[in-house]
Amino acid sequence: MADLVESPEQAELRATLRRLFGGRSACLARQALEGDGHYDAALWATLTQKLGLAGLSLPERYGGSGYSRADRAAALHEMGRCLLPSPFLASVVLAAETLLATGDEDVLAEVLPGLSAGTTLATVAYREGPGYDCPPVRAARDRTDWRLTGCRSFVLDGCQADLIIVPAETAETESGVSLFLIDVAAAPGLSRRAMRTLDSSRPQALLDFSATPARLVGDPGAGAVAVRKGVAHTTIALAAEQAGGAERCLEAAVEYAGTRQQFGRPIGSFQAIKHKCADLLIQVESARTAARYAASVSSDPAIDEDLYAAAALAGAYCSAAFFTVAAENIQIHGGIGFTWEHDAHLYFRRAKASEVMFGTPLEHRAFLARHLGLSA
Amino acid sequence: MRIDSGSVERGFLAGEAPPPAPGTNVPSFVREFEGWLESIGMRRRRPDQVGTGDFSVAVFDDQTPQEERMAVDRGREWERTKYDAGWGAVDWPEQFGGRGLPATFAAALRAAEHEWDLPRRNELFAVTQNMIAPTVREWGTSEQIEQFVRGLLRTDIMACQLFSEPEAGSDLAAVRTRAVRDGPDWVLSGQKVWSSMAACAQYGEAICRSDPSVPKHAGLTAFLVPLDLPGVTIRPIRQMTGGACFNEVFLDEVRVPDALRLGPEGGGWRVALTTLSAERSDSSSLGAGTVDKMVALARHRGVRSPALVDEIVQLWLRDRVLVLTNERHAAEMRAGLEPGPQGSLGKLAATMNMRRTSDVITLLLADELIADTGRWGTFAWIEQVLGAPGYRIAGGSDEIQRTIIAERILGMPRG
Repeated sequence: MADLVESPEQAELRATLRRLFGGRSACLARQALEGDGHYDAALWATLTQKLGLAGLSLPERYGGSGYSRADRAAALHEMGRCLLPSPFLASVVLAAETLLATGDEDVLAEVLPGLSAGTTLATVAYREGPGYDCPPVRAARDRTDWRLTGCRSFVLDGCQADLIIVPAETAETESGVSLFLIDVAAAPGLSRRAMRTLDSSRPQALLDFSATPARLVGDPGAGAVAVRKGVAHTTIALAAEQAGGAERCLEAAVEYAGTRQQFGRPIGSFQAIKHKCADLLIQVESARTAARYAASVSSDPAIDEDLYAAAALAGAYCSAAFFTVAAENIQIHGGIGFTWEHDAHLYFRRAKASEVMFGTPLEHRAFLARHLGLSA
Repeated sequence: MRIDSGSVERGFLAGEAPPPAPGTNVPSFVREFEGWLESIGMRRRRPDQVGTGDFSVAVFDDQTPQEERMAVDRGREWERTKYDAGWGAVDWPEQFGGRGLPATFAAALRAAEHEWDLPRRNELFAVTQNMIAPTVREWGTSEQIEQFVRGLLRTDIMACQLFSEPEAGSDLAAVRTRAVRDGPDWVLSGQKVWSSMAACAQYGEAICRSDPSVPKHAGLTAFLVPLDLPGVTIRPIRQMTGGACFNEVFLDEVRVPDALRLGPEGGGWRVALTTLSAERSDSSSLGAGTVDKMVALARHRGVRSPALVDEIVQLWLRDRVLVLTNERHAAEMRAGLEPGPQGSLGKLAATMNMRRTSDVITLLLADELIADTGRWGTFAWIEQVLGAPGYRIAGGSDEIQRTIIAERILGMPRG
C-alpha cells in the first residue's frame, strides 16, 4: 500500500528548503530568461556542499545520503514552488536513475560520487531529433573503444553536462539499444548547441556526435530498458515539482484576489473568482496526491504497483493540473499577470515545458489505456 | 542530508498525522477482520462476472417502502453483530465500543466489506452512524451521549436529518420551522423536506427557529425528534429516478421535551454544520467503484475509437486520484477528529466525477443508453445518469461547496 502521508522529516526538509529559497528562486528563473540560461553556480554549491542536496536519495555506497525517492520528491516539491533553476533533475534524477538501472557497478562507483557531490553534472541524450537533418545515433566499435555518430535534440542541460549518457544502436549486434557514456572533457567530434527554449530556466541542447569516443555502460542491448526506467523516475520526480508549482500558483492567485479591489471590493469576494479557485484547489490537492502516490511506489519495491503506470498516472495528472493552475493564475491576475515583469508567466512557461518534456498527458494516458486493457 | 529543525510549513490542508496504532497496521487488521467474517460463516462475494449476473450502478436506492424497510432491517442486524464483536466503530474511542484507531482503519474495513456477501449499507446507515452519531457526541449532554451514541453506532436507533425546507435550500439558515418553549417542552411546527429514508428512522435531527427576533444564524436550535410522536407526518417524495427514498416531514405542534434539545438554545447552526461537515466528508466516496465497472464493461465490449478510449482513461485517472486523495485525507486525519470544511473538497470532486461518468457512459453506450436492448450492463446505466444530478444538490449544491472551499479553506473574502 502506497504511503500517501508526508512524514515529519519530509515536512521539515521542505520547511528548511523553503526558508533557504526564500522567494529568490523565481528571480533566478527570471535571470535565466533574460540571461545566458545558466544555473546559479554559487547557489548550487550551497545546496550541494552545505545541504548535500544532490546526493539526497543516492545510495550511500556511492557518496549519497541514502534517503528515499519519496524524500527526494519532498525536496522537488519545494524546488517546483519557486521554479529553482538547477541541474538537479537532469543530473541526479534522469542521469543517476538511468545509470542505477544498468547495475554497472564499475561505472556507478566511478561516476555517482561526483553526481552526489554535485561537482559533476550529467544528462541523458535519448530523444531523437526531428526531421531528416538529425540522423539517429549509431555506435561503431573502434578496436576496444566505441565511437558514436549522429544527432540528439531536446537534451536537458546538454550544454551544461560534464557527462552525457547516450542510448544508441550498434552495428554489430542484433540486441537492440545499448547505453554509452561520453566524457565531455575528452570528446572530439562532439558539438553542442543550446536550443531556444520556452522555459529558459530549463535549458535544452542539440548535440552532434561525429565519431565521438564513448564507453559502453551495462550489458549490450540493455540500454532501452535502463532509459525507460530512468525516464519513469524522472516523470515521477517532475510530478512532485509540478505539484509544488501548482500549489504556489494558486497561493499567488488567492493572495492577489484578496487585495485587488474592483467595483469597490476585493475581486476575491466575487463568486466567479471564488469558484474558480475552489476548482483549482481540487486540482492542486489531487496533484499532491498523485505525486506522492507515484513517489511512494517508486521508493518501495515492496509496493505491488507498476512503476510505469504510477509514472503515467502522476505525469498525466500533474502535468495537466500544473498547467491549468498556472494559466488560470494569469487570468485571475488580469492585465498585470500578462506583463513581462510579473512572475506569472515564468510559472506558465515552466508548466507548459513540463507538460511535454517526459511525455505529453495524451501519451501517458495512451500508456494507461494499454495498462487497463482498453487498447492493444 | 543535513537539515536543521524548524517550524513545519504545510499547505492548505494541514492535518496531524495519526498516532501509530499499537501493534497493528491496516493490511493485518483487514486480514484479522476477514478471518472473523469467515469464522462466523460469511462468504466472499464471487468476483463480478462481466456479462452476467446482477448489474447496478444506481446512485439512489430506488425501492418500494417495503423493500426499503426489509433492507434496513437486514442491515441493522448485521451492524449489531459487527458492533458487538468489536468490528463496528473501530475509529471511535473504546467508551463507545470502538478501538480508537485512525479513520484509515475504518475505511479499509468498509472497503473490505464490499468483497463479501453482506447486507448493503444504505444511505440511512451513513446518516445514522457517520453523521448524527458524531454530532450527538460533539454537542450532546452527558445524558444524551449515554442515551444515543452507542445506540446510533449499533443502529439500535436509526436517525435521519430534518434540515431543508421548501423555502430553505441552499440558504439553510433561513429555516422557518418554529420551536416555541412551553414549560418543560418545546412545541415544533413546520415542514421539512428531502429527508432521506425518514420512514425507517426513529429519530430526526431537526434544525428549528427558536428566536425569530435575532439574525437568522443566531436564532436556531437543534432537537432530536422522536418520529413516532403525535403530530409527525412522513410522506414520500417521488424523485426523477422514479424511486422515492426522500420524504417530506410535517411537524404539527409536536411536543418535544427540553431533554431532547441538542446543543445550546440558539446554537443550532453550529450543530447543523457539524452534521453537514460529516456528510460532505462521507460523500467523497460517492459513486465508488462505478468507474471501474465502466472500464470493465469497455474492456468486455471492446472500444475501437481511440478518442473514446482516451475519454475513459481520463475519467479513470480522475477517479483513481480521488480514491487516493480520500485515502490520504483519511490517513492525515487523526482518529476521532471532526471533519472540517475539507469534506467539501471530497464531495465536490466526487460529484464532478459522477457527472463526467454520465458523460462518458453516454459516449460508450450511445443508443443502448436510451432504449433497452436487454443486453447486460447497458440500460441499467440510466440509474447512474438519472441519479447523478441529485447528489450535486444533496448535502449542499456544488456551488455551495465551492463557496465553502473558497471562504473556509482558502480564506477568500466573504461576498
